[in-house]
Amino acid sequence: MSFFGGLWTITEIELRQRVRGTAWWILLGVFVGLILLVTAILTYAFGAWTDDEGSGGAIYSVIIYFVLLLATLVTPALSGNSINGDRDNGTLATTQVTLVSTPQLVLGKFLAAWISSLVFLIAAVPFILWSFALGGTKPEVVVVSIIVLAAELAVVSAIGVGLSGLMRRPLFSVAVTYLLVAMLSIGTLIFYSLGGLLLQQHVTVTDNYVDYSDPDLEFDAQGNPIDPECIEQTYDTTVPRWDAVWWMLAANPYVVLADAVPTTYTSNGGITDMFGSIKVGVRSAQLPPTYLTGYDECAALAAGDDRYESAKEIIDRTTPGWLVGLLIHLALAVAALAGAIAVTHAPARRLAPGSRVA
Amino acid sequence: MSTSSTASGATSRASTTGSGIVVNGVARSFGTVHAVRDVTFSAPEGRVTGLIGPNGSGKTTLLLMLATLLVPDRGSISVAGHDPVAEPSAVRAAMGWMPDVLGSWSALTVRATLELTGRLYRFDRARAAARATELIDLVDLAEQADQPTRVLSRGQKQRLSLARALVHDPRVLLLDEPASGLDPGARVALRVLVRRLASEGRTIIVSSHVLAELDEMADDAVYLEAGVSASADEIAATRTSMRDWRVRSLDPDALRGALVSAGFPANEQRMEGAGVLVALPGEEAAAKLLAALVRKKVPISSFAPAVGDLEHTFLDLSGQEGAR
Repeated sequence: MSFFGGLWTITEIELRQRVRGTAWWILLGVFVGLILLVTAILTYAFGAWTDDEGSGGAIYSVIIYFVLLLATLVTPALSGNSINGDRDNGTLATTQVTLVSTPQLVLGKFLAAWISSLVFLIAAVPFILWSFALGGTKPEVVVVSIIVLAAELAVVSAIGVGLSGLMRRPLFSVAVTYLLVAMLSIGTLIFYSLGGLLLQQHVTVTDNYVDYSDPDLEFDAQGNPIDPECIEQTYDTTVPRWDAVWWMLAANPYVVLADAVPTTYTSNGGITDMFGSIKVGVRSAQLPPTYLTGYDECAALAAGDDRYESAKEIIDRTTPGWLVGLLIHLALAVAALAGAIAVTHAPARRLAPGSRVA
Repeated sequence: MSTSSTASGATSRASTTGSGIVVNGVARSFGTVHAVRDVTFSAPEGRVTGLIGPNGSGKTTLLLMLATLLVPDRGSISVAGHDPVAEPSAVRAAMGWMPDVLGSWSALTVRATLELTGRLYRFDRARAAARATELIDLVDLAEQADQPTRVLSRGQKQRLSLARALVHDPRVLLLDEPASGLDPGARVALRVLVRRLASEGRTIIVSSHVLAELDEMADDAVYLEAGVSASADEIAATRTSMRDWRVRSLDPDALRGALVSAGFPANEQRMEGAGVLVALPGEEAAAKLLAALVRKKVPISSFAPAVGDLEHTFLDLSGQEGAR
């Protein structure tokens, strides 16, 4: 039997043992009920049965985020006790004395946890398709967002199974899995803000302004001043260096999702939906603050530059945040599973205090 | 159990690497707790070796090391010719382990449990299903075969656990407290099964603290006390230590009188139930006393050691008063 044959046997045992409980069906029912409720309220509130395309896109974004929220809340419960729970039930050691290897055991459990969380995603697909049908969303957005949701569920499943191998007590590992999900979902925002403040830089800035108080100032047809007087202003200030901590923001699953979906632009490169505005915000954080060296309004006018880059230009010239975020998540998932494989290995050399092998 | 429980293994600083089990100077501690300190024995093929010791003497820890689940701190182990640490897969293919903890996949049926266990031993589906059916008959769980294991009684779970240990027809069997929770009928069935498995040439280790149970099942015995296996000398010494014999007669008064004249004054005779207990220093003395009683025409109906051989050796080794 191949490596995957043994792995799949473990997955089958997990799915038959854990998933068929009544509790799992109740959880699935509550999940579907909540999404149904939110979809109905949004559809009513935005009046989306009219042909207003914008509200369809807004409803789509909110529903996708709601699915991500609920799915990341359910998944730790499905995976966070899969190894230490077996140890408590006395079924881990009897599995380990068979010809199944520890990597097969841990990865088989991960696969089972992922599959059972994907069932929740599948249950949400009709609602995703409904909000797509309301208009305003491109098909590729639906495809990409479902792929990213599936990838994020894999990450949470891997962390849950990994921690259940690294920690002895199921209650503890489930709680820590939830903490890690909270860390990624909310903690990244907090630490991004704190990091930016911590890394503030003292700079002396020299700005060049047009002297709009000059009564002789004249304007051309576009409203730009003609041959203006310039005022130089020098001052000390502190600048938060978001560009040093932007990757924390990128590790946020909601940001990964928003950043990954293809953006629809307006004709002058602006953004149209919630995902787009999050994306451009996160991408802008990568850029060094402009006022590190000061802003020269007169020079910009003379060169005929646009005063601001468009969203499209910023997104096109910055690092894809979703890629960085997914790589960070992948590293977390791999570390958790590798750690669990190392700790669960039998024959065991070391045991945590008070633990029992069987 | 034959009368002489000579713990054959303890004699050899074991060196042979047959297909049985050879354990040499093994120790394992958990932090400051020295669960197993120095255990040496060998369990040959075709025999049932009892592992005897009080609770906490290291029986389960020793079995976990044999079952490829724990690495010993010191010493060497060979199970079916392989080192459990260096070649766990080879040991696992040849070894079946029945733990003292009753764990089962509670939502799965008895049949599914055995089939999936078979597939973990790399059986294909058809072979796993056929083996499950065989084992269900073997351990007498046909009525429960299609029920989830959470509804099984303790004894039924115990039998399922035994069946699971037998799935891949192992040459070495490690049974940790196999009879606990079994009713008398199932206990007899277990004994018959274990004897049969041994007669097929398997190496079987049975741990228990219920010594009467092992008396009926084991050929040899290994005594563990505080993580140390008893040496052959220590065991031989218990052969000549004082031991209670129970004598029953149809005529108790005649018996007591005859005992006094045989050198056992009334204060050395203890009444217990329908019998009289007297302390004797070994089997030779017992034979002499019985001959003397018979010569005096006392109607003897029963003349036997008050405790089993294993229990006597065990209690004597652990230095408890009741050993006499």
